[in-house]
Amino acid sequence: MQSAAVDLPDAPDETLTEAVVDLVLRGMWRGRPESEHRPLVDAGLAMVKGPVVLPTERAKATASRILRVAAGSEQEERITAAYEAFLPVNRKIRDVCTAWQCRPDGTVNDHTDSGYDAGVRESLEDVHEAIQPVLRRLERVLAGSGRYLTALEEALDHFDEGSLEWLASPLCDSYHTVWMRLHQELLLVLGISRAQDEAREEELVTRSRD
Amino acid sequence: MSVTDREAGPPAQSEASRTPSETPGLSLVPYGQGRIRGLDAAELGAHGAAMDRLVALGLPVVPGLTVPADASASLCEPDTARSAVDLVEQLSGRRIGDPTRPLLLRLSASAPTEIAGLPPDLACLGVTPGNASDLCAVIGRAEALHEVWAATVRMIAEYALDVPGAVLDDALLDTPEPRERVEALLALVAQHGSGPFPDDPAQQLALAARALLGRWDSPRARRSRRAQRLPADLAVALHVQALRIGPADHSGHGTAVSRHPETGRLSPQGSFFRGVRRSAPPPHTGEPLEGLAGGTALLEHSLLTLERHLHAPVSVEFEVRDDEISLLAASAQLRPPLRASVCLAADLARDGALGREQAVRRITPAQVQELLHPQLRLTGGEELLVKGLPASPGAATGAVALSSERALELAADGTRVVLVAAETNPADVPGMLASVAVLTGSGGIASHAAVVARGAGKPAVCGAEGLRVDRSAGTVRIGDRVLREGDTVSLDGRTGAVYAGTLSVSVAGPPPELSTLLQWADGIRRLGVRVNADTAAEVSTAVALGAEGVGLCRTEHQFLGERLPLIRRVILAADPTARDEALLALEHAQHEDFRALLAAVGNRPVTVRLLDAPLHEFLPAPGEALDAAEEQRAAALREANPMLGLRGVRLALLHERLYPAQAEALFTAWADVAATGVRPELEVMIPLVSLPEELAAAAAYVRGAADAVAARTGVEVPYRLGTMIETPRAALLAGELAEHAEFFSFGTNDLTQLTYGFSRDDVERQVLANYQERGFLTASPFARLDPHGVGSLIDLAAQRARSVRPGIKLGVCGEHGGDPESIAFCDDLGLDYVSCSAHRVPVARMAAAHSALRERRDESGSTR
Repeated sequence: MQSAAVDLPDAPDETLTEAVVDLVLRGMWRGRPESEHRPLVDAGLAMVKGPVVLPTERAKATASRILRVAAGSEQEERITAAYEAFLPVNRKIRDVCTAWQCRPDGTVNDHTDSGYDAGVRESLEDVHEAIQPVLRRLERVLAGSGRYLTALEEALDHFDEGSLEWLASPLCDSYHTVWMRLHQELLLVLGISRAQDEAREEELVTRSRD
Repeated sequence: MSVTDREAGPPAQSEASRTPSETPGLSLVPYGQGRIRGLDAAELGAHGAAMDRLVALGLPVVPGLTVPADASASLCEPDTARSAVDLVEQLSGRRIGDPTRPLLLRLSASAPTEIAGLPPDLACLGVTPGNASDLCAVIGRAEALHEVWAATVRMIAEYALDVPGAVLDDALLDTPEPRERVEALLALVAQHGSGPFPDDPAQQLALAARALLGRWDSPRARRSRRAQRLPADLAVALHVQALRIGPADHSGHGTAVSRHPETGRLSPQGSFFRGVRRSAPPPHTGEPLEGLAGGTALLEHSLLTLERHLHAPVSVEFEVRDDEISLLAASAQLRPPLRASVCLAADLARDGALGREQAVRRITPAQVQELLHPQLRLTGGEELLVKGLPASPGAATGAVALSSERALELAADGTRVVLVAAETNPADVPGMLASVAVLTGSGGIASHAAVVARGAGKPAVCGAEGLRVDRSAGTVRIGDRVLREGDTVSLDGRTGAVYAGTLSVSVAGPPPELSTLLQWADGIRRLGVRVNADTAAEVSTAVALGAEGVGLCRTEHQFLGERLPLIRRVILAADPTARDEALLALEHAQHEDFRALLAAVGNRPVTVRLLDAPLHEFLPAPGEALDAAEEQRAAALREANPMLGLRGVRLALLHERLYPAQAEALFTAWADVAATGVRPELEVMIPLVSLPEELAAAAAYVRGAADAVAARTGVEVPYRLGTMIETPRAALLAGELAEHAEFFSFGTNDLTQLTYGFSRDDVERQVLANYQERGFLTASPFARLDPHGVGSLIDLAAQRARSVRPGIKLGVCGEHGGDPESIAFCDDLGLDYVSCSAHRVPVARMAAAHSALRERRDESGSTR
């Protein structure tokens, strides 16, 4: 993130840099005071649509530039290793969220079957156990990425206290919401497209075929 | 037949008579011998008990044994482990280390019931660096064995040999290749372990048992038991199974369920995997059951036998060895697909394995609702754009938006939007939240987009192939079609189908096996089920869903739309001539409506409620009257609180020709329909009555209309006259009202509003959620009938009415008529029927049957 602010066209200040990255990774802001989004709007990096603030195309391009690490660098290589360890777990967390929302036959999980829900909780524990070493490694090579583990643990705490929306709801910083943001940051940092990402995940997940 | 049967015999029985763990190996119970030794699931675990049952049913099972829960720790002792190895070798007729017919062991745990949070299985014991290549040579493939081996070493290293978990995690991250993983893990054990990793199978098994029990005692497992409200010290049984290694072409493992998830019919579904058994085989590596070289006949036989025994859709795990199947596990499916449960209930009852009442009892009203999900109404002429993956259930139709920005803009104008995206990232989330449905070109049913859509309760179709979005042009290409932003599409998140244009969304008809169960439910219930329907089309839909008649036909729509100017002229008329002309036109239009309605009703009962709209719905908006005089008259009629103002019978008493005109139209229509041989049981209902005098006056209008029609047509129309009970005063004066009424229909929506003094829209927005959070209310009183307040009013009104008119017909026509708990309440009060919207009719039929069955059970309970 060091060299990035220079690329920002109109406003090379650090607050704005952080803000535009945050907005792009989150996809939107809701309920933020105008003082926070006004500078972004003025810089052509955000637009206000009713109660939500959205990033502009320019903001997305800017954030990609800010986040991207140097191609071919050692840092890129080490982050790529962490990303490739992330991908198989990325498949699992989506399966866990899917199982939490839908029973195997596709009907909605109404959470009346505590045995079924307990099984899903177990696989969430597996995911969380599997992602921790990956995030510990990532933190050593990508500044600021430690916040994801903190946020995931906060979401888990809420979930364990019985607030079920903290697993997969898009309306709060749920486990899935935070995860999606982490995923997006990795893609921007490494300059990987969604299509490449899907293909790589599939390859890693199905690698062992005998 | 399985090897275990040959082993069952007198020696086992004499062993059982001795105390367990006296001698090594005495606590080992071969599959199938638990019952003989007087052990059940509490000692054998759910798995041991299930294997016992499979043996008893004569089904082929894999050789193995159980260490009962009270003795499971004994397997950590090398002597017991040695006996277990010997016994499994004996049962399977193979030896560990034999290079031609190799054997490995698999260790697992089970609790007395099916629970979550058990330690993972340790899937290959008996492998050593020395014999691994022999094993791979027999299998013909190497990777799977090393993968399973690595997982086994990992668990034993952490939980039995005290190697720190983080060190092991790092090694796994650094060495992705399974063979190198095993080497790295064994090196870490040598470096950090409290002991060496043994080659001897018995010593491996003893350590594996210690690891499993250690994992069962870990903080994570304890947390899981707490979450499931299981005892902290719950003991598990351990199971040692033979893992018979063979060539991948002829060996493997698989899973199957007994019924097709879509149709619910008996038809084994599942897949199998070649090679070594893994708990989570890589996706896309399974093969369909049809590919089993030995055929599926034995599998089908096993599934059918188990279903008949367990009375539930079942799932099995099986091993394939030399193309033959033997069962590894079997259980009732924990959450079978609904169609499967319904089909099975009908099948069992048809075969006489279950009574019809029992079959009906197995399907809840909520499940009926679930099966009658909304779907697109297809006529055959639709243009199917694409079929994607069904990612989030539900059907919707809306205008295409290609970005969050556009979706938010359109939605702000009240447009129903379908967000269409080639791929999704966080920037699409706000658009998804603003849309009624989501369509994506990439990603599967477990994609981020699908998770978000389900989290927000939106229907979604994902992975629609060939979808190309061009945001700058504002177009999306789907197959050969190019759509612009704003064009409408319709999609079904259960089938994955996406259609061009606007399709209507309606409730699916019940599948055939559910229709059968509902017919049986009809034979059980006492409470009648009618529909709230205003038009002939609605009546036909409801009759097809099993409605016995119409409990509420609202006539408001007959005055709205293009007829609004007519009723406006009646209300605002400057002179009687204009008023009478308008009334005549209205009467004619209503006559047509009623005739169609009554024809659709056929010989069933139909309750027609005379006009009940509040006055303000008929008044022109300020400034829109025809002239200044009308403007003035309209202004004089505007009310501060129209819902409590000039409405229902009150309006009819001020505009005295309204009800006679409506009633004459209705009776004439009846006479027309009767001429075709159809005789609907007509019930005419007066709304919003509080005073017996109001009812008496309105009744006189209706009688006058009947006389007029009789005079004009010569037909004496048979009808009953009754009233809505929707004010507390009406409920309290039910005795007096019953003198004028042959039936009552409780309008529970208004009765709830007026009993609580709740304005529904306002409290739903501001108050109810807060009250539910505080625990003041457990459910919205508009969704579930309040039994204490509103319910006592109904109870009291029913008693008072019956004391005056014993046979008076009583029904409920609020939305509560479709809610199972409210239905049970009405049944308990002895009401005659409930009336609900068409799509709830099947739910109400089932709820009424369950209520009757509950009463029967209560009665039979009290006589004992």
